[in-house]
Order: sequence, then structure tokens, then C-alpha cells
Amino acid sequence: MTPALPDILMGQFVALSTPLPPEAGGDYAAGRTGMLAMLAILGAQEAERGIAVRLWENAAIRDLFAGVAADCDDALGGRLAAAAVDTDTRYEWAALDAANAELRRLLIDLHEAVEARGDAPRDRAILGLYADMARERRLVLPTG
Amino acid sequence: MTLAERLGAYLSRTRGRPTSVETLARISGGASRETYRFDTVTNGAREGLILRRDPPGSLIETDRRLEFLAIRSFAGKGVAAPEALVLEEVGAELERPFFIMTRVEGGAAGSPFAADPYGPHAAAIGEQFFSHLGRIAGEPVAGLPILAAAETPAPGDCWRRELDYWAGVIEADELHPQPIVRAAIRRLGRSPPPPPAKIAVVHGDYRSGNFLHDGAGAILALLDWEMAHLGDPLEDLAWAMDPLWSNPADGRVSGMVTADEGLAIWRRASGLEVDRAALDWWRLFASVKGQAIWTSSAKAWREGGMSEPILAFSGWYTARRQDEILATRLLEIDRP
Repeated sequence: MTPALPDILMGQFVALSTPLPPEAGGDYAAGRTGMLAMLAILGAQEAERGIAVRLWENAAIRDLFAGVAADCDDALGGRLAAAAVDTDTRYEWAALDAANAELRRLLIDLHEAVEARGDAPRDRAILGLYADMARERRLVLPTG
Repeated sequence: MTLAERLGAYLSRTRGRPTSVETLARISGGASRETYRFDTVTNGAREGLILRRDPPGSLIETDRRLEFLAIRSFAGKGVAAPEALVLEEVGAELERPFFIMTRVEGGAAGSPFAADPYGPHAAAIGEQFFSHLGRIAGEPVAGLPILAAAETPAPGDCWRRELDYWAGVIEADELHPQPIVRAAIRRLGRSPPPPPAKIAVVHGDYRSGNFLHDGAGAILALLDWEMAHLGDPLEDLAWAMDPLWSNPADGRVSGMVTADEGLAIWRRASGLEVDRAALDWWRLFASVKGQAIWTSSAKAWREGGMSEPILAFSGWYTARRQDEILATRLLEIDRP
């Protein structure tokens, strides 16, 4: 898992409040401070969009499940159908990530089943969803 | 005792002469070793050196003996490798394993994430970057010091050994399910590459940011040999060309030269041909390997008390960028 924003902020606190040994000053300390500044900028992006992106991704995966559940065998199809009708009701980072982890595990199982039966259109649809997921979670480095 | 005093005591003992350590300072030098620059003074003679010491907890399991012997393998071979001087695998006075090498003066490493890291010297740096890599690939492995520590795989096993290793890292270190990289691992397993024409030393982390240049178009030293091994030379080439190290808006590899130019330079320097299908396999593999490293970064960051910002950056920004590269590549490969 890439760290969630609360983890990043906790790490900022730990890094800033831990004294460095004497030999770790100078360029090393400057580089470390620059990295902390970079994390702060990325953190601002995540604070703006992180919750919305998690809600979007969970909904997108459930939509996919709803469309394929009937075409899968009973065991997998049942799990997909059950997950498809679920919704996010708690909006804390940890709650959304826990729901996302369950959905992603099921998505991996679905993709393996799709590959095993040589279902090229569904395979393509899942790869398209992956591209969307990765794009939605994009963080942008400052330029200059 | 300070680290400088302990290092001075070690060098005095091993050199058999009083040696003082001055200006010891930690520098950035990869996330899996602590790297320090320092001067020694022995009988009035000053020498600039680099210390690479294992950290208390490591990002990736790497063998410092392999790293040491890999650097030694290219001494005097026309590759800009520093000189590896001393290896202590137990740790002696410094408590943790370490090695010492010569310090190359007057150079800086460009950031792999800078928009235009080499400016007007991009073409000259690119020529040397791919030439050095070609020379590493073309070097016959027989008799090289690295053979004392590295396994020699059968040519047909290179891909499987690397894929199994890095897939295992993801399996072990993943803290959240990663469907994109898992799809890539399955894809790679279904369509292996042809065996390499030769087994070569693989640097393992050959990329922009892992060499020193003088700011005027000359590469001075290749760094971070900690993932060196023997294998398919295309592995290094694919890693060096991974889009992660390039500005997405720039058509050049790492802001240096185009991919075709880089391949042509590599072919000339190595004397090897590039099998495009094999290179495509290794390019997808490179992103899997990257994602494994960033996955380990996130885990190491948490387990290390969240104190190292570079690990947070690698496990967060870099992991997400790598996922985007992987997803794009998977769509391109399977385009009808």
C-alpha cells in the first residue's frame, strides 16, 4: 500500500522531531529537508483529492463487478454480486482503504478468472480500469 | 565514541599507522546503505574516501560483498567505477558491515525527477551513459571478481530467477493489494523472453541519478552497485530506459538521448544486438521490479518508525507513478 495521508503527516512529525547525529548535517540534512518539503506538496494534493479518489475507485470496481458477476461461476459470481451492492458509508481514510483492500483482492481474483477463460474483452476492460485507477491516484511533482 | 573516532580507530589498526578521520559527513547515496564522505590523514598524507555502511534496517536485502566485488570487476576496464578498497562483512569497529572506496571529486548526481537534469550536456551524457552500460554488458564475465560471490544462471533461467525474486518481494512486503503489478507478473510469466546471447554483469540499478557527472558533460563515476548480479544484459538496458526516470513531457530517455539513439550507442559499445521482443519483456519486468522496490520502501518506512522521508517518497509518489507506467504498458502490449 502506498502510505495514506495521515501516515505521511505522522512521518513528517517523526522526521522533524528526531535530532540527526552530528555527521548527518550539511548536504544530507539539506536533502532530507527538501524531501520533507516535497512530501508536504504532494500531501496537499492528496488532502484535496484523496478521499474523493478512494470513493471513485471503490465505486468503479463495484460497477465492474455488477457487470460481470452473472458471467462467472457460482462461487466467484456470488462474491462479486455481494460486493457490487455494497456502498461506502464511512469516509475515514482507514475505513475507505479497508474497503478498497477487499475490493482489490476480489478484483485480482476476477482478473485471474478472466485470463484463465481467455475472455479478451473483459481482460481489456479490466486493464482499462487499472489505467483509470492509476491515473486518478496520480501525484504531480512540482516543476522548476 | 563518535563514528569518526571509531572509523579512525579501525583504519589505524588495519593500516598499522595512526590515522585520523576528518570531515566525516553523511551524503545521499541510495536507500539501502548509509553513505559517508571523509578524509583520512596518515603520516601527514590526506586521502578522500567513501564509507558505505549497512543501515540498522535495510530497504532491500543486498549483499555488500557482491557490491564490493562488482565494483572491483570493472577496475581498469574503461567503466567509470570507483576503486573498492576495504570490505568488512562483520562490521569490526563500526558495528555493522561496511566497505570503503575511493572518492571521486568534482561530481554531482542529477535528480532522476528533474525536468532537464543535464541541460546542454544531455547528448554528451547520454553517449557516455549508454556507452558505459554497453561496456558492462559486453565485458566477458570469465575471471571477474564478482564470480566469487554471484551465481551464474543458465541463460534460459535469467528471466525466471529475476521474476520469481521480485514477485516474491511483492508477496512478502505488500501491505495493500496491488492488482496492476500482479497482472504484469502473470503476463510476464505467460510469455518468457528468449535467452540472452551472453550472460553479463548486470549493474542492477543503472539509471539517471546513479552516476556522478562534472556539470560539463563528463560522467565521472557509476554508483550504487548494490543490486549487481549476473544475468541478461537487457535487464539493465530496460531498467535504464524505464519511463519512471524520464520527464513524461520529454521524448528522451532520462533527458539525455532518444531511445533509438541510446540503443544504437549501447549496441556499438557492447557488440551485442538487441532483440526487440526480449527488450519489451524486460521493460515490463523493469516496472515490476521497480514496484517491488517501492513496495519494500513503504514497508521499510513503516517498520523503521517513519523516520526516513526518502522511503516515504519512494513508497508513495514513486509507487503511484510506477503503477501508471505499468497500467499503460499492459494496455499497449495487449492492444488488439
